[in-house]
Amino acid sequence: MARALPPEWEVEVFFANDGLEGLEVIRQGNGEVVFLDLTMPNLDGYGVLETIRKEDLPAMVIVVSGDIQPDAQTRVKNMGAMAFIKKPIDAEKARAILTEYGIMAGGADDH
Amino acid sequence: MITERVSLTEDQRDCYQEIVNVAMGQAADRLARLLDAYVVLPIPQVNLIEANDLHMAIQGAEDNHAISSVCQGFIGSGIAGEALLLFNDTSFEDLATLMNYSGPLNRYGELELLMDVSSVLIGACIQGIGDQLGIHFNQGHPVVLGQHCQVADIVKSGNHQWNKTLAIEIHYTLEHVNIDCNLLLLFTEDSVAKLNNKIDYLLD
Amino acid sequence: MTDTAKELGDLHWLMAILQNIDVGLVVLDRQYKIQLWNGFMENHSGISPQNAKDQCIFELFDEVPREWLMQKIEPVFELKTRAFTIWEQRPYIFRFKNSRPITGRAAIMYQNCSIIPLESVDRVANHICMIIYDVTDIAIHQEDARLAQQVVAELSEFDHLTDLHSRSHWQPLFEREFQRCTRTQRPSSLVIFNIDQFNDINERYGHHAGDQVLKVVADCLRQTMRQTDSACRYSSEYFAVLLVESDQDTALFFAERVRKRLSSLTIPVTEADLKITLSCGIATINERLQHPYEWEAEAEQAVKLAHDQGGNRCMIRPPNER
Repeated sequence: MARALPPEWEVEVFFANDGLEGLEVIRQGNGEVVFLDLTMPNLDGYGVLETIRKEDLPAMVIVVSGDIQPDAQTRVKNMGAMAFIKKPIDAEKARAILTEYGIMAGGADDH
Repeated sequence: MITERVSLTEDQRDCYQEIVNVAMGQAADRLARLLDAYVVLPIPQVNLIEANDLHMAIQGAEDNHAISSVCQGFIGSGIAGEALLLFNDTSFEDLATLMNYSGPLNRYGELELLMDVSSVLIGACIQGIGDQLGIHFNQGHPVVLGQHCQVADIVKSGNHQWNKTLAIEIHYTLEHVNIDCNLLLLFTEDSVAKLNNKIDYLLD
Repeated sequence: MTDTAKELGDLHWLMAILQNIDVGLVVLDRQYKIQLWNGFMENHSGISPQNAKDQCIFELFDEVPREWLMQKIEPVFELKTRAFTIWEQRPYIFRFKNSRPITGRAAIMYQNCSIIPLESVDRVANHICMIIYDVTDIAIHQEDARLAQQVVAELSEFDHLTDLHSRSHWQPLFEREFQRCTRTQRPSSLVIFNIDQFNDINERYGHHAGDQVLKVVADCLRQTMRQTDSACRYSSEYFAVLLVESDQDTALFFAERVRKRLSSLTIPVTEADLKITLSCGIATINERLQHPYEWEAEAEQAVKLAHDQGGNRCMIRPPNER
């Protein structure tokens, strides 16, 4: 995933091994933009989305998943995810989404 | 002939898991469209197993559920293996409903459903893995290993022509309905080194 | 030779291979019209490629199950996946008669079929190819094997001579009883009987007499044991009886009854009236035993001991410690 991010995008990247770790990072305020997998041990992506919504955590979530069923996309969008990127990740598409949602406008944001 | 020692690093395992995750997602998508239902995707199990532990490789193999099973070989670029689909027999009723199967649900009816589901799941999964690794896999003809039998009858341990090899296991379930199956991909011992090379290339 | 001429030459070879290969090849377009029909299909159907070309497959062949086949083929066009059908689902797709008077034992050709998408340059599957395999031999052998297995299963549950359980049928019962006893800490006993000087009987009076003796011993066991016990023909002249919920004393009592009963009998065979005796070995389950075969080994040791001491007696393993 990290390799698919635009190289000129200057951000600090945190990695989490599962949903629970991911939530910790977000709670500490280090997850402004979250690339969220759906299939994870301990707490899956749906669980993370639900917690973010319940606790009203500050995170823009982009789901990155191999689960390409139409239903999966509808569900995560309904749960507050901003966008959905299919695996295997196409770097160009990732860039397009980041630009489209103004997350990486000109690369001047400080994260 | 002395075969190379089969091994797997943590990075390689992660990479396999990622590749299988994508492939099984594609397979699940096909199945979801076929059945108009949501397929729950688990984390795929990637392990090196010893021939003696083959039966252990199947999650819940110790359960005494009756199962039906189809096996299909695949080969491409010197990499070969078999895909084994184990279908819980209690799944057929719901499966027939979802597939609008109107015939009698006897052995033949179940066989039809089994073949249709295995064509989709095995085919899409093998192709998905092949696409990511740049391998065109040819599939052999599927073989029914048994209907209404125990896992132990199908996956007999011992007398295998290998010692240790790569096994990938995916446990598919469907939401809200009672459909439950295991897909086991087993590669030949000789294939593992070649596969690892492809994986290392992706990791670099 | 120019490149084009060479390519044409290669194509010519390929066509010759397609014509002669011993599997059926049929290419269909989106309307299910036949675009390729190879020699195998021509030979078995009697329809030439010229006559098959551009005909809808369902109109040319009544027997081809339209709905069923379309259900398999549509996803191949749409999703570009492959589909497979096997003879166990439907014996055949095309009704081809048996063409082998000597080795062909079925009236029709059993068929497996692979259906693969054929992509055009724009990556759309506008055609599919059906590959038809003749699997008549496999189907017949499988059916033969199934029938044979059925017969073997029926035969092997009982020993055909004595009508007692066969060893292979009895063994799992025995092992389950071992597990049960280890779990419940209840005693059960295994008694093994050996007919003394059985080989002499066979040699002097013939195998028919030997068989007669085996039957009498089996009858005697059946009459003496309880319904919950299970007996088997252990090996040639050995019998084993599993006494459920029986301690050493009960087992010894049972074995003695059998031994005395049998020694009092006279067995008439063609040339003589025979008197026979038994050696009995008793092993009661105990905490030293880790595995069912150790239990068996103790009973075998005991019966050997009885035999070595002259036969016509019962021995116990482990020796009674009281």
